[in-house]
Amino acid sequence: MTNGGKLEFDIIVVGGGHAGCEAALAASRMGRETLLLTMSREHIARMPCNPAIGGLAKGQLAREVDALGGEMGLAIDETGIQFRMLNRAKGPAVWSPRAQADKKAYHRRMLKAIESADNIVLVEAEATAVLVRNGAVEGVEAAGEKRYYAPKVILALGTFPNGLMHIGEESFPGGREGEPPSCRLADQLISLGIDRGRLKTGTPARLARDSVDFSRCEEQAGDKEPSPFSFRTKQISGDQVPCHITYTNAKTHEIIRRNLGRSPLYAGRIRGIGPRYCPSIEDKVVRFSDRERHQLFLEPEGRESAEIYINGLSTSLPRDVQEEMIHSIAGLGDAAIVRYGYAIEYDYYPPHQLLPTLESRRIGGLYFAGQVNGTSGYEEAAAQGIMAGINAGRSLAGKSPLILGRHEAYIGVLVDDLVTKEIDEPYRMFTSRAEHRLVLRQDNADERLFRHGVRCNLLPRVLWEEMIAKRKRVAGARRFIERHALSADECSRILASKGQGSVSFPLKVSQLLQRPGISIKDIESSLPAGSLGLEPREKESLEIGIKYDGYIRRQKKLAERMLQIERVRIPPDFSYEIEALSAEARLKLEKFRPITLAQASRLSGVRSSDLSILMIHLGKRERGERGNAGRGRAV
Amino acid sequence: MENDAIVALSTPPGESGIAVVRISGSSAVRILDAMAPGAQLAPSRTLSLVTLSDGSGEPIDEALVAVMRAPASYTGEDMVEISCHGSMQVVSDLIGEIVRLGARLATPGEFTKRAFLNGKLDLAQAEAVVDLISAETKLQRKVALEQLGGALSRKVRALEEVLLGELALIEASIDFSEEDLPGYSPRDTLEAARKARTAIAALLESEIAGERLRRGIRVTILGGPNVGKSSLYNTLLGEERAIVSPIAGTTRDILRERIHVGGFTCRLEDTAGIAQTRCEIEAKGIEIARAAALEADIVLFVVDGSDEITNETRNEISRIDPDKLLCVLNKSDLEPRYSRDDACERLGARDMIAVSALKREGLESLRAWIFDKTVKRSAGDLDRERIAVNARQAAALREADEALDRLSAAIEIGAHAEILSVETRCALDALGAITGRSMSEALLETIFAKFCIGK
Repeated sequence: MTNGGKLEFDIIVVGGGHAGCEAALAASRMGRETLLLTMSREHIARMPCNPAIGGLAKGQLAREVDALGGEMGLAIDETGIQFRMLNRAKGPAVWSPRAQADKKAYHRRMLKAIESADNIVLVEAEATAVLVRNGAVEGVEAAGEKRYYAPKVILALGTFPNGLMHIGEESFPGGREGEPPSCRLADQLISLGIDRGRLKTGTPARLARDSVDFSRCEEQAGDKEPSPFSFRTKQISGDQVPCHITYTNAKTHEIIRRNLGRSPLYAGRIRGIGPRYCPSIEDKVVRFSDRERHQLFLEPEGRESAEIYINGLSTSLPRDVQEEMIHSIAGLGDAAIVRYGYAIEYDYYPPHQLLPTLESRRIGGLYFAGQVNGTSGYEEAAAQGIMAGINAGRSLAGKSPLILGRHEAYIGVLVDDLVTKEIDEPYRMFTSRAEHRLVLRQDNADERLFRHGVRCNLLPRVLWEEMIAKRKRVAGARRFIERHALSADECSRILASKGQGSVSFPLKVSQLLQRPGISIKDIESSLPAGSLGLEPREKESLEIGIKYDGYIRRQKKLAERMLQIERVRIPPDFSYEIEALSAEARLKLEKFRPITLAQASRLSGVRSSDLSILMIHLGKRERGERGNAGRGRAV
Repeated sequence: MENDAIVALSTPPGESGIAVVRISGSSAVRILDAMAPGAQLAPSRTLSLVTLSDGSGEPIDEALVAVMRAPASYTGEDMVEISCHGSMQVVSDLIGEIVRLGARLATPGEFTKRAFLNGKLDLAQAEAVVDLISAETKLQRKVALEQLGGALSRKVRALEEVLLGELALIEASIDFSEEDLPGYSPRDTLEAARKARTAIAALLESEIAGERLRRGIRVTILGGPNVGKSSLYNTLLGEERAIVSPIAGTTRDILRERIHVGGFTCRLEDTAGIAQTRCEIEAKGIEIARAAALEADIVLFVVDGSDEITNETRNEISRIDPDKLLCVLNKSDLEPRYSRDDACERLGARDMIAVSALKREGLESLRAWIFDKTVKRSAGDLDRERIAVNARQAAALREADEALDRLSAAIEIGAHAEILSVETRCALDALGAITGRSMSEALLETIFAKFCIGK
């Protein structure tokens, strides 16, 4: 690590949040000497906003991070205090695991993983500059002019670059509650020619647990049989802690309206753009003025924690207004505020400046992951972190990059969206962003991604082998139920037990299963004993496959036009000086410099005729280079 | 690679001797087989003469067909090239049938795109195609602009709004199920789908102009005996078909043939001469003639210009809808009995054209009048390009309708929201082919505008 007094590493990760931790762990597992720079080890894997991992679409992301060999799933399985599978009332494609985290325990668990990793050196220091030579990164300078050298640097700075916090009329620099921002590094990045934008996010107040009257709130319990996040966790142990639900009311809204003038948002002092899906309470009251109440979740910040997080009440109103507003809410009449809500504005670096490996197009070896790319959420951050770590590691080893397809993973959708779309609000994952939603399920993340995790050495091979064996068993059972028919009487009996009409003809088991409301459980007793021979999870997998059969095909068809052009690459130095292109398309293409034709097609303003023209020019260029007629270049 | 079949007219649209329709994709040969069941096809890359029929067995055209197997074809996929007669009628019937059999209309440059993807494009072709596409695109943009203010576009956009609203509800129920949102009711979506399907059916029905052009404009020749109806008929056909004789009542039944006017098909009908008669057979013929005139899109009432215009003639003309009537003063090669104005007055007709069927004079004006009266007016100044667009729109509407049908069925059996989403997206995707709007961008906008999302 020291070479003539020079501190040298393979990979330096700046920032110890959810992106930074996954990046560092992935790098170390790939055998890379890794330096993790953080302002304080106490800040490793903190949760500055809500105390939860997963949720709709985010749960799928967390499962994918796990299936690639990430740490997040294992950490939450060990430190979660309440587990729920969301969307159980809908089909399995949109089930999403969510867990309330014990914030402190989660931090400790992740710190332990970092500290016990073979190749990670954890250093507490503020990074102040990225060292660049000849267009490529060569290391990082930390406060005190200490220099660390590495050919790969991953920036996972979170909301720290030029962070500016707002509470009411007060504004003060800060990266998070009680932590200073990172301004020197932020300014230096600009001098390196990296474009920045400004975003805003916010967090609600925290309450003293013993000052809340939970008897006036609805209780929300966890699942009786909690499902783990990690494919490597056998079982979740420990009692589950409930959450509580309460609501704002007319009085709360009246207090907010009366004080809007004192809100930094409405007084015009915040210029960063906040997320539409996570508006502050002042936003909700203004934009949805006809709503009589807004739902709030009271979430414990830990098993033993004395703090309660008020999910749904994000605000940057002055402290006295926060007091008054909170006290107007049922159950919170005597609530003591431990910490006030605040808004934070921060710099981000529009990710169209990145390659799909998350490496900067401008500075070789410099990667960006997490909120610096304009995303929001721990899971989105972790997903980028592991991808940046993997790609930095693979690049050092001279291996091809790992770029996941949109049809392969939510992580693929996430990265592709980041590098091809304009980010005008903090980017959060939704299931509706995935055009292959029926395939990208939390239950099959292992089938989709284990092979990559194993190939990158983040997972033991035996996991992959077990998964393949499971898939074979499921496929065998599927062949059986696609042939095996049940008599009309038997089918009718099963249907009747679910309140459904009878049939006058025999049905194959698979046909019966395709009916909504009919599951393997209902049919199993009518099958020859042991004919399926599957574990409960495997039965679930079989059932999902049957139920979605035709729909997956249809969804595929909807997206298939994309797939084909996904393989056609556009060289990075391609000139868009093509007269036939529409002016708008040319502008967008030059700004975003898509890697493939498919990415080009997703840019707003690029029409199908523009694509055809592009394609032809690509073909021309390629032939010019090779001097003979060849095939379209494939990725 | 499996590829859905695409079809396009690859010769310029409009009237021509021969039109070439190309199909490309893995199912191209299967589609050809379905239109020419049992036909003996020559080996790959050789022409065969086959009769192509539609689903009901009705022949569409006799055509020269070449099959080119992958990879030895322009696109590198299985391709079928059909050289048929170059009337818009035939082309439109043919493409309609191919689409019905599972192909979809190719987008501009799509054949080239596939050729490129399969590594089949050479440099010269590539450059030619760039020019073509940009030209084609200009025309399409013009058409799109014209239609922007049009009724069809407005209606389809309204449909899109409704379905997008439903999709937003469906998606919100999935992505924001933890939020305190108003409950989603699939019954409402069912009702919306029902209304949308009714609207689509009406739109497909209101495509009368396009439909009329497809089945042909019906032009009936009516008039007294021996005024030269059959001569006119034959002259318009360009060959002798009807028996022409000086004996009144030679044409008792209706004779029908297809002619082309300005690139569009007309079904020309020759009828029995209308006169007082005691002959039952003749009377029957006259009855049929009058009925035909009633149903026709155009009635050419033929009068002998060298003869007296009687009250009977005037009465007969007064029975005809003046909007579709044209009086044809035949025998302009003879001394006219009246001045033009007098003739009009006596006939009680708005419009009149003098022709000589015998000398083939005035026929161009007659054709022009038919074209103006029918093609131009009924299709609202449709130019040829826009008929192609309309065929595409109709296909898109039918595709949307099928998706909505599946959506309704899915709701009926209680399918989950993510399934309803797939079908609704299919419908929106189809409609997007008409309006050119991409749904994914609009979707999140709609969700956020509609709901207070965010804990």
